[in-house]
Amino acid sequence: MRAPRFLLAIPAWAWLAAFFVLPVATVVYFSFGYKPGIFGTHATDVLSLDRYREALSPTFFTTFTNTLRVGVLGTLLCLVIGIPMAYWMAVKVSPGKRAFLLALVIVPFWTNFLVRTIGWQVILAPEGWLSGMLQALGLRENPLAILYTRSAVLLGVVYNYLPLMILPLFVAFDRVGPAMREASKDLGANRWRTFTRVTLPMARPGIIAGILLVFIPLMGDYITATVLGGARGNMVGQLVASQFQAAQNWALGSAMAVLLIIVIAVTVLVGAAIAYVVTWPLSRARRLRLADLEGLPEKVR
Amino acid sequence: MSHPRRSRPVRVLAHASVAPRIMAEFNRRQFLSVAAALGGVGLLSACGGDGDGNGATPGADATGRATGGELESQLSIYTWGDYDSPDVLERFTEELGPEIRLDSFNSNEEMIAKLVAARGTSGYDIVVPTGQFIPQMVENDLLEPLNKDLIPNLEHMDEAFLSMAWDPENQWSICKAWGTTGFVYDNTVITRELKTWNDFLDAAQNEASGRTSVLDDPAELTGLYFWANGIDWTTEDEGDLQAAEDFLVGELAPHIAAFDSYPGGSAIPQGTHALMQVWNGDARIGIMESPDPDRWTWVLGAPVTQLWMDNWCIAKGAPNIEAAHAFINFVLAPEQVIDQVDYIGYHTGAKDVESMAEEAGLEMLDLVFFTPEQIETMKEGEVNSAQQRIVDIWNKMKAAAGA
Repeated sequence: MRAPRFLLAIPAWAWLAAFFVLPVATVVYFSFGYKPGIFGTHATDVLSLDRYREALSPTFFTTFTNTLRVGVLGTLLCLVIGIPMAYWMAVKVSPGKRAFLLALVIVPFWTNFLVRTIGWQVILAPEGWLSGMLQALGLRENPLAILYTRSAVLLGVVYNYLPLMILPLFVAFDRVGPAMREASKDLGANRWRTFTRVTLPMARPGIIAGILLVFIPLMGDYITATVLGGARGNMVGQLVASQFQAAQNWALGSAMAVLLIIVIAVTVLVGAAIAYVVTWPLSRARRLRLADLEGLPEKVR
Repeated sequence: MSHPRRSRPVRVLAHASVAPRIMAEFNRRQFLSVAAALGGVGLLSACGGDGDGNGATPGADATGRATGGELESQLSIYTWGDYDSPDVLERFTEELGPEIRLDSFNSNEEMIAKLVAARGTSGYDIVVPTGQFIPQMVENDLLEPLNKDLIPNLEHMDEAFLSMAWDPENQWSICKAWGTTGFVYDNTVITRELKTWNDFLDAAQNEASGRTSVLDDPAELTGLYFWANGIDWTTEDEGDLQAAEDFLVGELAPHIAAFDSYPGGSAIPQGTHALMQVWNGDARIGIMESPDPDRWTWVLGAPVTQLWMDNWCIAKGAPNIEAAHAFINFVLAPEQVIDQVDYIGYHTGAKDVESMAEEAGLEMLDLVFFTPEQIETMKEGEVNSAQQRIVDIWNKMKAAAGA
């Protein structure tokens, strides 16, 4: 007799239940509670939606808008930089060098995330070596003034998250394989057409994975933004953390966390809807049906 | 061939032997995007709250007070990061035996949350809360009373730093280090002389606009406004708090470049800002590390500023209570005091520590020791009903500064 197939999935389900479902459920439960006193963090004997009313303050919206801007811009930048890089690695580079390049993409992950980000702080400081070098070379008159600006935040985001974009894109481009590209060329498509009509659409799952892998953790990350953006890097993740750590108000913090989860889910859905609406007419216009070929001369048919 | 863009069935002409492989390939891709979505949300939900468990075993003699019996083989200290000279810790283990395990926290709130959650089984022996948190910690049964008979070195402490308002008889706590808040400015950018918190606020909105950092701590921010305007910084009055909010959020926020609690670590040596609110010990480290120390001017906050004092306390249920007493007694000995001051850059509250530090040739002692007149202007904080309100102001200010 064979063992039932779901046996293999039990560790995964147990993991998800213990480390995802249960904590999120606890957070949701706490969010209906309240803070009982200076030394209490949460109480749930009276449940209400009051914490959500408190959480939906102008502070939350301002901070959230800033977070969303960093999230969307950062993800787009990673995508724009990641696609050519991943395509080059998957298609143009010889397989021998490929492993080396992949290793180069991954190596930064061997160092602690915070240390890498603080490293950028040192590089970008107005009196850091980069600023000094640019001034010495006569490329800049004044000290570099990029640290604690939004540009510095985006630079840090691209640096920290680019590998998460490149890896799924690389896998996706790699899986398309040379056969499809050759077939496309044989059928008369030039390189650009092959890329946009064949390779890119086929790499779609990788593109979606890359976008989600970058966008979602980025929305919860506040280390990169505060280390490099200072006051300009105020992120909603920090707002949530401040309720847990400084205010010791776990109920309000939980309500904010739940709102954040909801808003991110909605953003992802809206993004998917927009992508669908934009690409739908394109794919319709490009669709080739044999029935449409009626009017063409005999030879072509 | 079509691709799996709309989850319609895919038809592939292939040899039967590779069919399972191709099927698996498509499923794996779909899995990749779903896993990414789930994994991301999982990460999000992980931000915030700290784990409670630290795997330590609860003490058997949780209720017994120390009697001066044999020392245990271990000692667990839960304190602020990088807050004790490693030499002192090593000497303790060498001379008296117990192995020290150090763990650190970033805020009193974090430490208290852990002790509250553990209900006397945290496994920590020594904790180092700031003074104003001690009364509520006692009330909530988080601390063990000290057995002062086992701490004879208490006689080396300066009376001025004993019998503080939060613990008049030092029943629960002994001063570990104290410090104050002031600011440091770059005198090549701000050429006039700054002397008070009002000067700080004025410069922040003028010469140093966009190049000013403030401490990343709620009470320090509202304190900034209250100290400058002659309002008691422990006020619970809504009118005062609203006025602080209006100024900090509406007027000061746009000029702030960063919320940084330790500018001495990198901002001063790297010359990142022109004006920084800073704690005295951190200012000293920053200026000493700077390639051009003369450029930086330290100003003690005036007309009033804060006095914070961190204290040696013993956690409720401490498993190594004898070793904890022995350690507190050990660090209070004059032999250890100079190493501690040299390492952390703060006054430890010991008698004659200033002359000892001068003899030992420590640098920039005007940032460590203050005159009695200066100490007169320093006032301790308080944990009260305004706590949530000041955290809200802090968050609002950060949102306004980031907008």
